[in-house]
Amino acid sequence: MDFRDPGWLALLLLIPFLALYLKLRGKRRKIPFRFPTLEVLRSTGGGKWARWRWLPVALRWTAIALIAVALARPQKLTQESNVSTEGIDIMLALDISTSMLAEDFQPKNRLEAAKLVASEFVTGRSSDQIGLVVFAGQSFTQCPLTLDYELLKQLLDRVNVELVTGGAIEDGTAIGMAMANGVNRLRASQAKSRVLILLTDGQNNRGEIDPVTAAQAAKALGIRIYTIGVGTEGYAPYPVRDPWGGIAYQQVPVKIDEELLRQVADETGGKYFRATDAETLRKVYREIDQLEKSKIRVHQYRQHAELFGSWLGWALALLLVELILTATRLRTMP
Amino acid sequence: METRDILKKVRQIEIKTRGIVEEIFSGEYHSVFKGRGIEFAEVREYIPGDDIRSVDWNVTARMGHPYVKIFEEERELTLMLLCDFSSSGYFGSQRQLKIEAAIEVAALLAFSALKNHDKVGLLLFTDSIEKYVPPKKGRTHVLRILRELISFQPEKAGTNIGEALKYFSRVQSRRSIAFLISDFWDQGFDDPLRLVGKKHDLIALRLSDPREETLPPVGLVKLQDAETGEDFWVDTFDPAVRNTYDQAVRARRNKLDRLLRTSGVDTVEVRAGEDYVQALSKFFRMRARRK
Repeated sequence: MDFRDPGWLALLLLIPFLALYLKLRGKRRKIPFRFPTLEVLRSTGGGKWARWRWLPVALRWTAIALIAVALARPQKLTQESNVSTEGIDIMLALDISTSMLAEDFQPKNRLEAAKLVASEFVTGRSSDQIGLVVFAGQSFTQCPLTLDYELLKQLLDRVNVELVTGGAIEDGTAIGMAMANGVNRLRASQAKSRVLILLTDGQNNRGEIDPVTAAQAAKALGIRIYTIGVGTEGYAPYPVRDPWGGIAYQQVPVKIDEELLRQVADETGGKYFRATDAETLRKVYREIDQLEKSKIRVHQYRQHAELFGSWLGWALALLLVELILTATRLRTMP
Repeated sequence: METRDILKKVRQIEIKTRGIVEEIFSGEYHSVFKGRGIEFAEVREYIPGDDIRSVDWNVTARMGHPYVKIFEEERELTLMLLCDFSSSGYFGSQRQLKIEAAIEVAALLAFSALKNHDKVGLLLFTDSIEKYVPPKKGRTHVLRILRELISFQPEKAGTNIGEALKYFSRVQSRRSIAFLISDFWDQGFDDPLRLVGKKHDLIALRLSDPREETLPPVGLVKLQDAETGEDFWVDTFDPAVRNTYDQAVRARRNKLDRLLRTSGVDTVEVRAGEDYVQALSKFFRMRARRK
């Protein structure tokens, strides 16, 4: 039970003093009848009801206390709010193989588009821990799970294919390794909901871990994997350096192992998406955002039930009883 | 009360009571309390010339000298007014307070005594002796007594009839007519009462008020003991309480009546709201018949 206007509860502290003050004042004002002698009267004991003469006053003060509580507007939450503060953990797995340089996505190429959209996605979240894994022929963690979105976005911004072209990591597409890496990052987290969003544009052709095995591991840990295949239908323009130092475009066929990605998604309770351009990719992220957010919205939904009615009702009932008692059986003089 | 108010009140009571004394009481008081003729006063040594018939042979034999009895004619009576000024008197549900009725009755008796050329004395008491005015004759004295009655402010609140009676028998050795005016809300005065009853012509004038004898059903009532100041809550709706109280009051009254009867003390009951003149008049007639 919560109080909307708890200030009124201070009245409860005042009540004892007020009651005492009025009692003392009443004692001075209500002068008892003088009676020749009480000696004989005392032998009657005064009667049972004389011992209950405090009852109407007690009833009245109790009623006032109840009214004070009613004024404070007691409310009850019909939905518990404990889940609402707990976010979910999201690992983003981003393909940085050289094929990501294909320019079928705006702006510039697939990778830049993916980075931009992922950045927007991160901005749209709150109270979720998000991390980033990049992969090509190998996979490594660009950013562990964090609430520091600024840092994450900086790190995301720094992602480029030079890691691959510079030879730091092998080119290729190790989907299984990326999944294993992401799942490993999510393993220790305490969040109720854990999600891996895998973005790739190719087929699994590297790595020691099979994507299906990694999916099974994810499933065992209760981690959902959303898979996104990026690449337009058919051929995509791929920039290559021509002998004269300029850039020529080569039409490269888009080969995405949709079968595998769908299987992985289905296995872990996630979903597979195909993004053919930047706009559809944005939509995909928006959909994932909605899918993962909708649950939180339900949890954050609070309904306040006003409870003052019953408090007030009891107060009025007590007042009525007091009124009846003082008018009938417990009528006092003076 | 200021002196002027007191004198005014004295005058009022004087006029009121004198009328009653002259018209209604005329003769009644006189016929009831008349002198007892001659009374033995003392013995003294025989002087030649004394009547031989008056020689007290017993004393003569004891002393070895002749002694004679001296008689004195009792021409006058002494009326003593013993007034209870305890706080329980400051109660009245009818026309006046009990204490006011007591003052008026006392004044009436004093003026009756004045008309009969009797001495009048006054003893005011609470749980101690508050005031003693030795008996004297005369209109001035009676007016002084009246003034005392009206202006007196008692120092204490309680009631001790026994103490008053003891004091009275100490200071008033000669036989007198004594009116004990009280509401008799006291106990443990049996022995002094019997003693005074034997020595004096004691008359108990009991003041009562219907409200103190029975409780009306009005709810929970807070009552304060007029004498001790203690508070007490009573549920007057409770029939058991009212019955118990009625019975207790009746028992107490019966006990008092029995005590007064066995002590040879006559009783006049003056109920608040009823005419005390009539009550007294009836009492005098009753006394006259008995004689």
